[in-house]
Amino acid sequence: MSNAKVKAYAQALFAIAQAEGAADAISNELYAVARAYESSDDLRNVLGDATIPSERRLQVVEQLIGTRANRATVQIVSMIVASGQVRDLPAVFDEVVALSSAGNDQDLAEVRSAVALTDDQQTRLAVALSKATGKTVNLKVVVDPSVIGGLVATVGDKVIDDTVRTRLDNLKTRI
Amino acid sequence: MNQLVVSVLASEDPFVSHHWLLPETGEIIYGGLASVIVVGALVKFAGPMVKKSFADRTARIQKQLDDAAAAKVTADGDAKNIRAALGDIASERARILAEADAQAAAVLAEGQARIISEIAELEAKAEADINAARGRGSDELRNEITVLASRATPLVVAATLNEQAHKDLVEGFISKVGAGR
Repeated sequence: MSNAKVKAYAQALFAIAQAEGAADAISNELYAVARAYESSDDLRNVLGDATIPSERRLQVVEQLIGTRANRATVQIVSMIVASGQVRDLPAVFDEVVALSSAGNDQDLAEVRSAVALTDDQQTRLAVALSKATGKTVNLKVVVDPSVIGGLVATVGDKVIDDTVRTRLDNLKTRI
Repeated sequence: MNQLVVSVLASEDPFVSHHWLLPETGEIIYGGLASVIVVGALVKFAGPMVKKSFADRTARIQKQLDDAAAAKVTADGDAKNIRAALGDIASERARILAEADAQAAAVLAEGQARIISEIAELEAKAEADINAARGRGSDELRNEITVLASRATPLVVAATLNEQAHKDLVEGFISKVGAGR
């Protein structure tokens, strides 16, 4: 899917979320679905397998988020899966989150951490990133064990990396 | 003597010899004449032939003597030549042997020098190969250790990071980012 097509999909989905009156919540849920899709090979294999009937794939979506997410979120994910565009799901949903952040005059700040952050840590981290970038940030935390420890934050084009993984990579390069 | 002549003359019988040993006078005369004639004929006709025969024989013997002398001279010359040739052969043999010895010594010296050079070259090459292999082994071992260490380190570090360490890392990040501006 081209970048223009991704933006077009995202704008349409964001309009639906706005129409539902829960754009922030839906964008947060779509962001979580996108990260889950990226991190799970099984989920990618099932949702992206065209030989599996779409009804079965939609049942999987329903089982995963049917009772935990906004109804509009479930319908949006189901629509993407049914349309056969599931490979572009992360890009589309990230664009939806970016539109949502822009609508709130915020920049999307994706933070990857080896462990889950407490609400207090997320609040203080958002404040710190806002101070560092000079913009209000929409903080999205992704638990990613591959960073080993520490955090890496991406705000627009800016990357603040203080992970153990990066330190080890630098050390390995020096060796 | 007188008695002998008387007895001879007294016996006139032709069938009786005057003497038991001596012939009759006539026989002596005629026999003597015949002998003179025969001898004279022999001297006249056979003498030159015998003389020529002797002369020819003398000449032949002289010729043989001359030929023998000439052959001896020739043999002496040949013997001299042969002795000279033998002397030349001996000197040539000595020269060839000396030359062969010199060539053999040169070939031997050259071969020894070449072998020594090749041995030195082989030793140097072997030394270089050993050093290269040692270097490769060291490099490979070092790389292997680096690869293993780079694979093991994240696992070890991750295993040693407890909850407090993660918290400290997060707090450190927040502090650094917040203080950055």
